[in-house]
Amino acid sequence: MEKVTRRSFVTTVGAASVLPAGALLASAQAAEPVKQTHPDTAGVATSDISVADRPTYLFFNAAEVLFIEAACERLIPADENGFGALGAAVPNYLDKQLGGAWGAGERLYRSGPWQPGTPSQGYQLPFTPAELFRTCLRAIDQQLAAKNTPFHEMSADTQDLYLKSLESGVYELDGVPSGIFFNMLLQMSIEGFFADPAYGGNKDMVAWRMIGFPGAYADYYEAIDKHGVKFEREPLSLAEDGRGHLHMRPDIPASL
Amino acid sequence: MKHVGPISAGVLVLAGLPVVLSAAAPVQATKAAAKSPPASVNAPCASCHGVNGEGSAAAHVPRIAGQSAEYLQKQLDDYASGARDNAIMANFAKALSAEQRQEFARRYAAMSAPFLPEPTSSQRQLARGHQLAYQGDESIRVQACNGCHGPDGSGVLHAAPYLAGQSSEYIGSALKAFQTGLRKNDSGELMRSVAARLADADIIAVAAYFASEGPATH
Amino acid sequence: MAQRLKEVDVVIIGVGMVGTMVAKELAAAGYKVVGLERGQTRATVPEFQSPGIHDELRFDVRKALMQDNTREPVSFRNQTSQVALPVRRWESFLPGTGLGGSMVHWNGQTYRFQANDFQLATRTRERYGKNFLDSDLTIQDWGVTYNELEPHYDRFEYLLGTSGKAGNIKGQIQPGGDPHESPRSREYPTPPQKEHYQGALFRKAADSLGYHPFPQPSSNLSQPYTNPEGLKLNTCVFCGFCERYACEHYAKSVPQTVLLPVLLANPNFELRTGCQVQRINLDSSKKHATGVTYIDAVGREFEQPASLVITSMFAINNVRMLLLSGIGKPYEPASGQGVVGRNYAYQTMSTVASFFDEDVIINPFMASGASGTLINDFAGDNFDHSGLGFIGGAFIGAVNTNGRPIEYHPTPPGTPNWGKAWKQAVVKHYNHTVMFSLHGSSMAARQNYCDLDPTYRDAWGQPLLRITFDFPQNDLKMAAHVTAKAVEIGKAMGAKQVAGSPRKAPYTVTQYQTTHNTGGTVMGDNPKTSVVNRYLQSWDVPNVFVIGASNYPQNASWNPTDTLGALTYWAIDALKNKYLKNPGHLVSA
Repeated sequence: MEKVTRRSFVTTVGAASVLPAGALLASAQAAEPVKQTHPDTAGVATSDISVADRPTYLFFNAAEVLFIEAACERLIPADENGFGALGAAVPNYLDKQLGGAWGAGERLYRSGPWQPGTPSQGYQLPFTPAELFRTCLRAIDQQLAAKNTPFHEMSADTQDLYLKSLESGVYELDGVPSGIFFNMLLQMSIEGFFADPAYGGNKDMVAWRMIGFPGAYADYYEAIDKHGVKFEREPLSLAEDGRGHLHMRPDIPASL
Repeated sequence: MKHVGPISAGVLVLAGLPVVLSAAAPVQATKAAAKSPPASVNAPCASCHGVNGEGSAAAHVPRIAGQSAEYLQKQLDDYASGARDNAIMANFAKALSAEQRQEFARRYAAMSAPFLPEPTSSQRQLARGHQLAYQGDESIRVQACNGCHGPDGSGVLHAAPYLAGQSSEYIGSALKAFQTGLRKNDSGELMRSVAARLADADIIAVAAYFASEGPATH
Repeated sequence: MAQRLKEVDVVIIGVGMVGTMVAKELAAAGYKVVGLERGQTRATVPEFQSPGIHDELRFDVRKALMQDNTREPVSFRNQTSQVALPVRRWESFLPGTGLGGSMVHWNGQTYRFQANDFQLATRTRERYGKNFLDSDLTIQDWGVTYNELEPHYDRFEYLLGTSGKAGNIKGQIQPGGDPHESPRSREYPTPPQKEHYQGALFRKAADSLGYHPFPQPSSNLSQPYTNPEGLKLNTCVFCGFCERYACEHYAKSVPQTVLLPVLLANPNFELRTGCQVQRINLDSSKKHATGVTYIDAVGREFEQPASLVITSMFAINNVRMLLLSGIGKPYEPASGQGVVGRNYAYQTMSTVASFFDEDVIINPFMASGASGTLINDFAGDNFDHSGLGFIGGAFIGAVNTNGRPIEYHPTPPGTPNWGKAWKQAVVKHYNHTVMFSLHGSSMAARQNYCDLDPTYRDAWGQPLLRITFDFPQNDLKMAAHVTAKAVEIGKAMGAKQVAGSPRKAPYTVTQYQTTHNTGGTVMGDNPKTSVVNRYLQSWDVPNVFVIGASNYPQNASWNPTDTLGALTYWAIDALKNKYLKNPGHLVSA
């Protein structure tokens, strides 16, 4: 497999992304079917991730994008195994989820009164995921701006140290224990990496290819007899058509 | 010879029941991608399956171009062993060694071919076929074909062959063969279970629908 | 003001598997039956179809098929000294909803309990002496025996078409099955599912250690099957989207595939969906139910009068219904008085991960919900507990059901949770790991119980169920013991590294374990320690029957569904042949 650096992989994308980063364009991203290409046959690599290849962010503002893209790429970095969070469009997944029903509190019991509780009792904050991200990203931005070290300008090692400190809960982000924010960021990044690409992450099914997960079409009646034999098949998304085009659907509800 | 009787233009015959699809002119054949090199002159396949594997509805011969190599090889092995019953194919398959069957399967899997003209179907038949392909039907307890046969019926490796672009005659005769038990080489009886629940009109509809789908890419 | 409807013979609360079975039998016997289901109707087509159903984010992570926790969660605490807080997102257990209930998205693991389990208190005393148990345990006998339930187990398994290999037919041990099982009258309806590579590796290792591996009994069928109701099921294709998902192929035994079409065709039965039952109504004597009150999807309140009320909801909801209705004395741990909510139990789950070299290719994504291989050598009372200081045990098996990557990406202990090392470990181990599940019993203890929450309410204004639970010391000792045994099996498989994770306290609702919540409306012979008699009839209100895993006095080493199916047929038998012919107390108190 060719050596992949953080900025060398660029896949072809649909027309909707030829826009300045952060510009609002309702539904265009979701509506345009994106041709699936294998990373090895992708378009020309550039030395930087160009504006043309950025997703259209609808939830994150420009400052938040800088943190999210950098942080997600530290959580799931590109390496010799393949793309990391950026190449897999994980920030795009987060953006679409936080800007949709899930971010607004789908599947969350939201009545008070509120108490912190014990670790066994789980999440007890009044915030929806969207509110939590807004609150904590603002607090992080302020904290780092006060020291004149924005996250996206730190070295990778320094970024990792900072993320570890968030993870350990050392900070309170406007009253929110930082570990709670970190866990939600990590959990959503893993989701965005491994979920069906219908949701806007796992671009080109890179994460599935990396581990050999075949995806949404799953009849293994014959193959299960072949003990110990590698299962070789392109992964298939639930959102692709017979021509390999993916029709992204970030609005799938969390109920039947 | 045990398979469905001869076809006259525009009429699909299922186990002796003639059913007219349409009286209108046949649909224009769609153009395929660049032609692939023909199979070896020693191969008998081309005389029925066509030089590019396009098949022949009139002769009840399926399109095999671009079909999964694994699936084609299994059918040849099943013809040779008798697990799938067909006198003509059994002769050919038995005359080949296992390695030769694998080689021919591989060759035809790599081919692409034009799509042959299909008789036109009514909107209602196509709609019913589409429903069965994408959704299934609870009242007859049949699941969606595409769940196994892939996005838009384009096939899933190691699981199910493509249906999109296959001739309606062949799909219909295959379903009928599963339904009557004439064909039994579907492991787990997966196809026999489905075919048992399809009325003739449903077989015609789903066959017509997939035939109308055109080229598969997987 | 509630609108009063026309009286019917039977009203059934909750149309899951139990409600479907009871409704079908009573409607067929000529009774007018109304089934009230709070969720929506759904069917294999279109709701369960793939590829849409094979969406891990939606169904696994976001719990799309589960009870609406935004309107009706539960509250939870480990100890009475704590304040219970709402379970704001389902994680540890996942109650179902909708027509067909939780069984729509179960794994199909179909085990009977053993004879010993039904008389656990008596037999433990006999074998180990009366001072063997920890003082906090409140285990009890069920009031019904395995032999009485056997024909009903058989009937339920043939309804489902369960795929398996019998280990003991009428006392004759059968090769290839589980030699520890209690005697069954005949073979399973269909043969076992195919064994996957993990199961084969486990089998060899377990055999080499002298244990008795056998194929997991599966209600994801190995071949086409026509059940006694005339309904046909298909062959399961090992898609690896079993638990939390519905089956597109008519291959999983769920109410929709094994019974609902028959029920829905009977004009004696009326299904009403979107109906949230608020309480069972009692007359002024409080010893007779007059029917139920419910609120429909539009918010209208109705009173449905009925001669007989069956509550057949998910276990914890049965408990809550009795508490909201004032049926039976609520349990109070401080005094030990009362019965409703008492003996709540769960399941004590541990795991063992065996990591192999990259030339050992496991393909974890090829599996059904029950296509594993396991041993019962350390389950129940199948081994001598003398000197061990605990009772109970676990089945141990290579029973992993899937390779869905958001939730399944095993890494060895010490691997960081994120970053380069994490990613490399995921790639290195995803397709080269065998996970064992250790499915352990859960003993009832006086400090573990359910009652109504004093603060938090559901969307209808009713108090939530409050669960107070932590693992008793007994169960933690059991978990440590069986995990050590399972690690040996991992090593015997030739794995490069074997890591055991025995269950530790405190119990947390933040991590999935099982949805095997039991107890709270316990069955028994003594009204001082049970809520229902051996026919599942309320001691207090004889025209109310409570059917669910809420009746289990404690939970055994296996999944609860098969036993619940057997109890349901047992109760249906009592309803048809005893109660309905002569309503009144079936057992004198």
